[in-house]
Amino acid sequence: MKTDMYKLDELNRREFVASAAKACLGVGLMPMAGSYIHNSVSALTPGSRPAKARYVIYLNMTGAMSHLDTFGTNPDAPDIQGPTKSIATSADGVFLSENLPETAKHMHNAAIIKTMSTSQGAHEQASYLMHTSYLKRGTIAHPTFGSWVSKLSGSINTTIPMNVQIGSNPAGAGFLESKHGPLPIGNPSAGLANSKSADYLDESRFGGRLALAQKMNASYLNQYDQKQVRAYSDLYKDAVKLMRSEDLKAFDITQEPEQMHELYGKSNFGQGCLLARRLIENQVRYVEVSRGGWDTHDNNFEAVATNCLDIDKALSALLLDLEMRGLLKETMVVLTSEFGRTPKINPRDGRDHWPYGFTAFLAGGGIKGGTVYGKMDKVGRNPEEGKFVDPASLNATIAHALGLPLNDVQYSPSGRPFTVAHDGNPLFEVLA
Amino acid sequence: MAVRWSVIFSIILGFSPTSRGDELFRTFTASSGQAFTGRVLSYEGQTFYIQGKDSKLYPVPFKQLSPEDQKYLIQIAREGKIPKGDPRKLSTVEKQEEKPSVASDSEGTTNSRAIAKPKPSFRKGSFFAYKPVNLGQDPSLAMESKNVVSLPGPDEPVDFTNHVLPILEERCQSCHNAPYDKNGRTIHPKAGLRLDTYEWVMKGNLDDTVVEAGSLEDSYLYEVITLDQEDDMFMPPKGGALTAEQIDAIKRWIEEGAKPSAGGTGNTASDMGKGISFHNHIFPLIEERCLDCHGEPYVKNGRTIHPKAGLRLDTYEWIIKGNLDGTIIEKGNAEESTLHAVITLDADDPEIMPPKGEPLTEEEINLFKQWITEGAKENPSDTFVQEKKEDISVKTTDKKTVLSLVDQLSKRLKPPSKPQMDAAQKSGALVTLLSDRHSMVRAEFSSGPNLIQDDAIGALSGIKNNVSHLDLSRTSVTDGVLSEVKKFNNLTWLNLKNTSITDRGIEKLASMPYLTYLNLVSSKVTDKSIKSLESLTKLEEVYLWNSDVSAQGIARLRKALPEAKILH
Repeated sequence: MKTDMYKLDELNRREFVASAAKACLGVGLMPMAGSYIHNSVSALTPGSRPAKARYVIYLNMTGAMSHLDTFGTNPDAPDIQGPTKSIATSADGVFLSENLPETAKHMHNAAIIKTMSTSQGAHEQASYLMHTSYLKRGTIAHPTFGSWVSKLSGSINTTIPMNVQIGSNPAGAGFLESKHGPLPIGNPSAGLANSKSADYLDESRFGGRLALAQKMNASYLNQYDQKQVRAYSDLYKDAVKLMRSEDLKAFDITQEPEQMHELYGKSNFGQGCLLARRLIENQVRYVEVSRGGWDTHDNNFEAVATNCLDIDKALSALLLDLEMRGLLKETMVVLTSEFGRTPKINPRDGRDHWPYGFTAFLAGGGIKGGTVYGKMDKVGRNPEEGKFVDPASLNATIAHALGLPLNDVQYSPSGRPFTVAHDGNPLFEVLA
Repeated sequence: MAVRWSVIFSIILGFSPTSRGDELFRTFTASSGQAFTGRVLSYEGQTFYIQGKDSKLYPVPFKQLSPEDQKYLIQIAREGKIPKGDPRKLSTVEKQEEKPSVASDSEGTTNSRAIAKPKPSFRKGSFFAYKPVNLGQDPSLAMESKNVVSLPGPDEPVDFTNHVLPILEERCQSCHNAPYDKNGRTIHPKAGLRLDTYEWVMKGNLDDTVVEAGSLEDSYLYEVITLDQEDDMFMPPKGGALTAEQIDAIKRWIEEGAKPSAGGTGNTASDMGKGISFHNHIFPLIEERCLDCHGEPYVKNGRTIHPKAGLRLDTYEWIIKGNLDGTIIEKGNAEESTLHAVITLDADDPEIMPPKGEPLTEEEINLFKQWITEGAKENPSDTFVQEKKEDISVKTTDKKTVLSLVDQLSKRLKPPSKPQMDAAQKSGALVTLLSDRHSMVRAEFSSGPNLIQDDAIGALSGIKNNVSHLDLSRTSVTDGVLSEVKKFNNLTWLNLKNTSITDRGIEKLASMPYLTYLNLVSSKVTDKSIKSLESLTKLEEVYLWNSDVSAQGIARLRKALPEAKILH
């Protein structure tokens, strides 16, 4: 494994299978080898206690969601609030925008960080920072958070990937092995591409073709009976195993009953959330679902209200569905965007880019329900309560709940050290 | 000789330099020829402190003085007429010590030989200044009485701890004390005789007892302190004989029956009314039965041997602190305390502590129980502060230290070995420890669950006590598998979602003692299972959505398990 990391090239398929096999052995997940130290620091160190959450569904609002009109309303400051009203929720003292009436019923299971801030005010750079905890640089591709989760949490499932991204352009595994990168799914209704055998190829013909291939290989195998040669046929076997695996059904949301589709909403995002839940149920560790259309420089209030119809329906359905299936306690649902939007309403009735304050919504596994961290001041520029929380700290918070070692160093091919949440510190105020 | 003694005394007893007045003013001549009138107060290294007529202090280097002055200074320094050290510092130290010096002064005049060795004094609050406090006694009172009354009055009954023990401490325990470690060697008490507690004094050594209650003739201890000083067996061999008062105190104590102190240091149940002392009652037990495994880390063959379960019991603070998994003592609540739980298990329980030797006796267990109930205090006179309920922040942090059920179970077991883990994974299960240094494992069939049949569970039987989380969701198992699952004694979390499990299977789970999470979503379970589920009183979460259980069944279950979260 270690030698792989120093290679500049991506893994070839044989190495992929070989390392997947190693990972299947399920050896110790937490490389926390260390001496016995009894202090509060180690008590807080991930790995020393059972993880609170096992899975993450990360709902990424691309284009920067207007925090003031969704999760970060400030009823005390009507100047910046505009026409959006606040409504009470199932948690005492927690308020949401009127655009999210269904989500409000789940706030006893959720926490909101109201003082998120980022150093980047452009979409691509800010999104990169949110996903990787590092600033975008020309010299290196950092792994996304999902890739880190895949790398550090150890394999759960050998037949389907650990890290899936639904909608939007996938960011990669960076310098980590490519198997940790997200498996992209463009259209949730279409499922996993190129994983089925062709329609004309029935089981017996497929079997026949495999047998023929084996026959042709036989003499070569006899002559060169080596590990590397055998690995080729193993690769075929693994691929066939995946194709025939029941696990592939996880990607097929047509198997869900009609009322489930309706519960989540027929929008692309709703169906993406439904697929995310199916994948979590099949023990995929990290699923990201994106929803665009938030770059509301014009006509902000109408656009946000329209977007929220989708979001509210899908998010509340997801929380309800996870709860009913007994999954919510071990699944963390995160909803955030790359930055917020200006408190000042521009002449086109829109809001512009605002990296100085936005919100992150966290629910389910490992989260202290019904909490709000921080409060922005009346101009929405600085925290009135609490401190700014940067993207790295948000990622550190999620990583802590997942029991990932924050101090585990992975080296890039050029030998530079990186960790899962860079310099972020977990925000214990929102953790259970 | 007499002069010298008096000088030493004046140093010990701490007369301030001004009141010393033994050095007269004289004229010092510097080697450069300058003259200076003053008197020398003290010296430190090569510097002499000379007080001028103007009573200002002049530090003068020895080498700058004329040979005659040097001769004079050497003489008085040799004779010990002047103390060492900076007189300004000396005087402040002496001011602080004024009180004790008066006390020792009165003693000193009665017999100069007895306290020829000055007792070191320590700053207030220093660890070394700690004085033993009797059971049930107010510590501040105890300190005073110790300082003032060290010898019994003429008609007062002699008390072991107050009167006899201080004498033994002062004159005997430098040789007759508990074994201790010095440069890697254990130093045992001379003649195998310990005189550091009442029990040891009464026990004597291998030869015989040294104290016979009521009989001076049979008490060897009394005999050796009253021998002729030239006798080989005279005790103490160094520092001269005991004073007449001290001998008298020991004599009277033996004659009065050699009883333990009124407060009692004996380990008897009759003392319990007065409160349990950690140092006198609890720690000796822990020392005897627990420290073999739960002592401080030590190095053996170049490897550091850590205490088992990361739990140290060698000091009060460690005992209260517990280990990584949390505390082992809930102050005031013996039932909730892990320490109490593990010593009260059945003798054949694999998790009983101590694992070797006889279990603790009922009396010993009661000592622990009462000590914890009284608040697990270090000294019985400490007040036990109940947690303040109104303080929310304190409450939440305390909550974290309360062990979850699965952590408690983990403490009782060893983690599975590597071969055991490997064997368990033969079935296709993914088996992982819940966390580092956790003994409990999660077993799940995440890859190709549809291929998993009932027989797969067999591979887990080797670690069945370690399995706390078992995920059989989406597998092809049938009711039969639960006959095996019910043998997983420490199972807390069971997921049977999307399986063909029916009521007949659930019946078998009825006796599972620790089951807190049960997921029966999309299973074939009906109202018939409610009866079995009702008996699982530890259940906190039950998921029955999409099963065949009716609303009435749910209502009945909610009534039986009012605390549990039941979703339908």
